[in-house]
Amino acid sequence: MKRHLSILGRLSSPALVMTLLITAPAWAVAPLDLGEKMAVAEASVKQANTTSTNENAPIELQIAATKLISARRAWSDRDYLRAEHLAEQAQVDAQVAQIHAESVRSSKAALESQDAARALVEEINRPNIR
Amino acid sequence: MTTRLLTLIALTATLAACTSMPERNSDLDRARGRFNVAQRDAQVETLAPEELKQASTTLDQAQNAWDKGQPKATVDHLSYMTAQRVIIAQETASSRASQAITAGAAAERDKLRLAQRTAEADLARQQLAASEQSNARKTAELAQADATAKQNQARVDYSDARAQALELALKDLNAKKTERGFVITLGDVLFDSGQDRLLPEGAGYMVRLAEAFKRNTSLKASIEGYTDSVGTSTANAELSDRRAKTVMAALMSQGVLADQLNMRGMGENYPAASNDTAAGRQMNRRVEIVFTPNSDVILAR
Repeated sequence: MKRHLSILGRLSSPALVMTLLITAPAWAVAPLDLGEKMAVAEASVKQANTTSTNENAPIELQIAATKLISARRAWSDRDYLRAEHLAEQAQVDAQVAQIHAESVRSSKAALESQDAARALVEEINRPNIR
Repeated sequence: MTTRLLTLIALTATLAACTSMPERNSDLDRARGRFNVAQRDAQVETLAPEELKQASTTLDQAQNAWDKGQPKATVDHLSYMTAQRVIIAQETASSRASQAITAGAAAERDKLRLAQRTAEADLARQQLAASEQSNARKTAELAQADATAKQNQARVDYSDARAQALELALKDLNAKKTERGFVITLGDVLFDSGQDRLLPEGAGYMVRLAEAFKRNTSLKASIEGYTDSVGTSTANAELSDRRAKTVMAALMSQGVLADQLNMRGMGENYPAASNDTAAGRQMNRRVEIVFTPNSDVILAR
């Protein structure tokens, strides 16, 4: 024990500190904002889980949800960098699911309104029976 | 010593990791390719500029990470984020385009409905105006027809009354209805024998006769002088002419218009009776006033 301490004392040179800093893996310490990022991802996926996305963007929603699960696992595995990436991806995936569903809905609405306009024109142009 | 060696190994390993990076990152290339497609899309550039800018920022981060030799996982991650943000930009643009179509179609429908309503209202107004006009015209026509009918009736009434009055007046003047029309015979007794001068006894009668002409300015008559067969026919013709002139002058002196009258001497022609007896000869010496049948239609009855 005593010898070990003496070694540490002897090793406290600038070279050793530098070596430790360089070789320390990025995931060794959880980033300060990882918790926040995880929370944002959780909220985004939850928010994206709507009737509309389930109907119009089920695959995109599934991807986001899977990413979130993977992010949680990476976090518990202390693979923090991967957890951070997966959390960010889950969040953007959730956004994609939502915007895709909205796009599909808007496109349907546009088609319907064009049909309605056409129908109205036809009705107006129909010779009146008076 | 051992530690130093370990440190060296670790350093070398790290450097090796840095220098053995591949020339390109396929994820980054793909992300850039997708971004370029989106950037060239005018719809995305116009309708989702903010989203496109975010994708651009993320792409820069990915490129930066790659340039700085950051781990492949980081570059791949940022590339993935870029690709997703490109999708967000594209979907946002397409969604907004659809919404614009919907809004436009709704506006178009409203415009069409409004135009339809306006057209209907205009048509109704036109029909109302036309019907009012037609009613007004019919009312006017009815009023006109009514007025015309009344006028005609009045004219008929008036001409009936006038015709009756004229007939009465002519009958009062001893006019006889003959096939030539109403004829008044002024006998020899009204003239001096062999003369063309009217006797004063006939003056009152002439006044009444003139009155009938003046009351009916459309009344026209031919004044015809006749004689018996005593004497030369030339003398008789001249006498008959003079007597007819005398009557015409007498009527004109009472105010009868010249165009209502014409005259001629018939001499001893057309005797009304036989010239063999004195009574017959007296009947032949006469002036006849023949009312022109067409001077008043009613007289033709």
